[in-house]
Amino acid sequence: MVFNSLHFVWFFIAVYALYRLLPHRPQNWLLLVSSYYFYAAWDWRFLGLLAASTVVDYTTARLIESADAPRRRRLLLTISIAFNLSLLGFFKYFNFFSDSLQALFATVGWTLDFVTLRVLLPVGISFYTFVTMSYVIDVYRREIPAERNFVDFAVFVAYFPHLVAGPILRASRLLPQIAQPRAITREHLRDGLWLITWGFFQKIYIADNLAPLANRVFDPGAEQAGVNVLIGVYAFAFQIYGDFAGYSNIARGTSKLMGIELLENFRFPYLVRTPQEFWRNWHISLSTWLRDYLYIPLGGSRGTPARTHRNLLVTMLLGGLWHGAAWTFVLWGAYQGLLLVIYRAAERVPLVRAWTCGPGAIARITSWAVMFHLTCYGWLIFRARSVDQIGDMTWRLVAHFQPFAVDLPQLLVPLVLYLTPLALVHALEARRDDLLIVPKLPLVVRYSLYAATFYLTMLFGNFGGSEFIYFQF
Amino acid sequence: MRSRARRLLLFAVILLAWFAVFEAGLRRWGSSEAAPAFQGLFTGDPVIGYRLKPGARTRFTTSEFDTWIAINGAGVRDDEEIGPKAPDEKRIVILGDSLVLSVQVPFDRTFGELLERRLNEGSGTTRYRVINAGVQGYGPVEALLFFRRVVQHLQPDLVLVSVFVGNDAEEAVTARRLLDGERPATEVLSEGLATRLRRLVRRSMVLQVLRLRLVAVTDRFRSVSGPPEPPLQSYAARPAPRIGEGIRITTEVLRQLAAEAEAAGAATGIVLMPARFQIDDADYGRLKEIVRQTGGELVRDAATERFAAALGELRLPMIDLLPPLRRALPGPDLFFQENVHLTLRGHAVVAGALADFLREERLVEER
Repeated sequence: MVFNSLHFVWFFIAVYALYRLLPHRPQNWLLLVSSYYFYAAWDWRFLGLLAASTVVDYTTARLIESADAPRRRRLLLTISIAFNLSLLGFFKYFNFFSDSLQALFATVGWTLDFVTLRVLLPVGISFYTFVTMSYVIDVYRREIPAERNFVDFAVFVAYFPHLVAGPILRASRLLPQIAQPRAITREHLRDGLWLITWGFFQKIYIADNLAPLANRVFDPGAEQAGVNVLIGVYAFAFQIYGDFAGYSNIARGTSKLMGIELLENFRFPYLVRTPQEFWRNWHISLSTWLRDYLYIPLGGSRGTPARTHRNLLVTMLLGGLWHGAAWTFVLWGAYQGLLLVIYRAAERVPLVRAWTCGPGAIARITSWAVMFHLTCYGWLIFRARSVDQIGDMTWRLVAHFQPFAVDLPQLLVPLVLYLTPLALVHALEARRDDLLIVPKLPLVVRYSLYAATFYLTMLFGNFGGSEFIYFQF
Repeated sequence: MRSRARRLLLFAVILLAWFAVFEAGLRRWGSSEAAPAFQGLFTGDPVIGYRLKPGARTRFTTSEFDTWIAINGAGVRDDEEIGPKAPDEKRIVILGDSLVLSVQVPFDRTFGELLERRLNEGSGTTRYRVINAGVQGYGPVEALLFFRRVVQHLQPDLVLVSVFVGNDAEEAVTARRLLDGERPATEVLSEGLATRLRRLVRRSMVLQVLRLRLVAVTDRFRSVSGPPEPPLQSYAARPAPRIGEGIRITTEVLRQLAAEAEAAGAATGIVLMPARFQIDDADYGRLKEIVRQTGGELVRDAATERFAAALGELRLPMIDLLPPLRRALPGPDLFFQENVHLTLRGHAVVAGALADFLREERLVEER
């Protein structure tokens, strides 16, 4: 089931009506049953995996908590992590590694006939395995107690607003909200409804309308001038942002209506000036996960600069691979790692630091523009269908830019039209540094924004759009 | 309570104000077929439901094209009146849907006009007049009714019926009740409150788009009650029974049309018009995947083959435009990107193929 479907609308209305009638404990049962239904609506066969992940991590966390011997605790943690990584490895990466190995042997003339399994990727597996792994690690580190109530824990893992595309929740934040009775305030309703409305707008009006623009440029047969490649890459940058931030907002909004607060997952990621800032504001729940459970355990920035750089590169490479089983994602991870490493080395130069962090208008605009284009080039790598296409599109950008070949009616004008409302609302939010500024505006302004969003979505939204991009991760 | 009522009122006022803004904007810059200017090309018809409005004129602009459309006094797309038939004149009328009407290109670049020029090239005793009798949204049943009401009075010598294999089977099923003399839906509705509501919706571009959204939602709602049917059933490996029924109705309708045309002194030919994805590989790949995701299997030329087999029984001259369009590849686009209609190049290719077909079948004189 996807948020932008009529199925979800009926599902949520029914669940929410019941939810408001029930007391706390039955509410949790309702959340559990409805979350499993939500997941089964996509493919019921994979419910077993979700349930297995829940049982294994509930049990190992309880055992870790009750064990005193460090070796036993470590063994239990290893079992849990191995279990989760095996799930991920098999369902997400089996084909990738098998195909890559066959291709590698083929280059030296060996034809290997591996057993080829066309493994279907269970939706959301990357998200819920990370959620449960972080929980077990937190219990191991004694940062949180192991949850005793199995239903509460199962709700934490399967909670439908975040189940298939995040945000990747932390137990320390969500479990207490599940365990305690929840109060639903007027602010919850007001903010929740706005987040849902804005999320749908980001998905249906922005992302799904920009998708054809990006597709046109990323079509393998497209021989576009560099300027049009650039516009197509801009379109994809905002498509993926609208798609994923839209999903996160709908998840946060539906959750707010139920009195549960989820993490902010995006915070003006395209207004930043450095790679570090970008990762503090883009897919925040993943980047903090990678920081806390990968980068810091690898040593973080505690060792020599060389070790820090290695840690950054390894973290981002694995972060790239998390997004999907393809070499383009690995390359994207490597590219992001390199940006972080290079900036980390360069920021020691006072001039660079002043340029990227200083208050001057020129420095702010130029460093922002450079960072935005570096991010966009990352999206080119991410979206390309093959490594060859990355080379081809890069060549067009560099050697065949042809600014006068710009496709105004098909690319530039639609891009500007679709992005203008986003820019206006972002300007408002960024000015007050508040992602929920709209519901707090004076009544007339607020209602005007609601009405304009409604009309833009209904009149110009692309209702034949696809699933959310991050479902495939 | 009073405060809540005031807030609701304020919201309603703001909603209305934005409605006015979007309505004005769409009227000024909108390019949808829902635009009143475009809708003004059509008028109600007690037998067919609707037809082109005699004397209507409009300009239709989208990001892909900008055309002037004129409907003559006979109710077909033409810049000139048809007038009395000259002794040396032979008239070829092309019946069909939007792919024949072709609002996307200037009238003198439509395949009908290009065909007329080709047929009149060189010296000959006969002057050919090709009449574009395509109407947006028509299927085979409406084509037969349009022939009876309009086309036969134009004294055709040859009637070419363009069958769009992509949806004509489905349209034939929907429209078959018109053959029994049942009143068309548009006429049934034209009573009382429903009429007023319809007029209101028709006059507003915003309401027209909202109505389309509502229809899409109710369609989806219907599909929730059972497993969703894969789209493009005419091309399905195992199509729904109505596709076979639609092809059967089409065959019978064309048999009837050919008989009536013959009685009026005209020959009949059939033109099988393919869908864009049958020519465009990228479009085919995309649609194949969509159909696969809904549990179906798309067979690229299934609809063409089904129609060709069924209509072959009529033993009428027939041309399938798929091979000539495929032969025109690679090259500039034959179909527009954002709609499924022929580009200027597509029209030129179709005109050439039709001219060859008519000569091979000796339906026109050799020059």
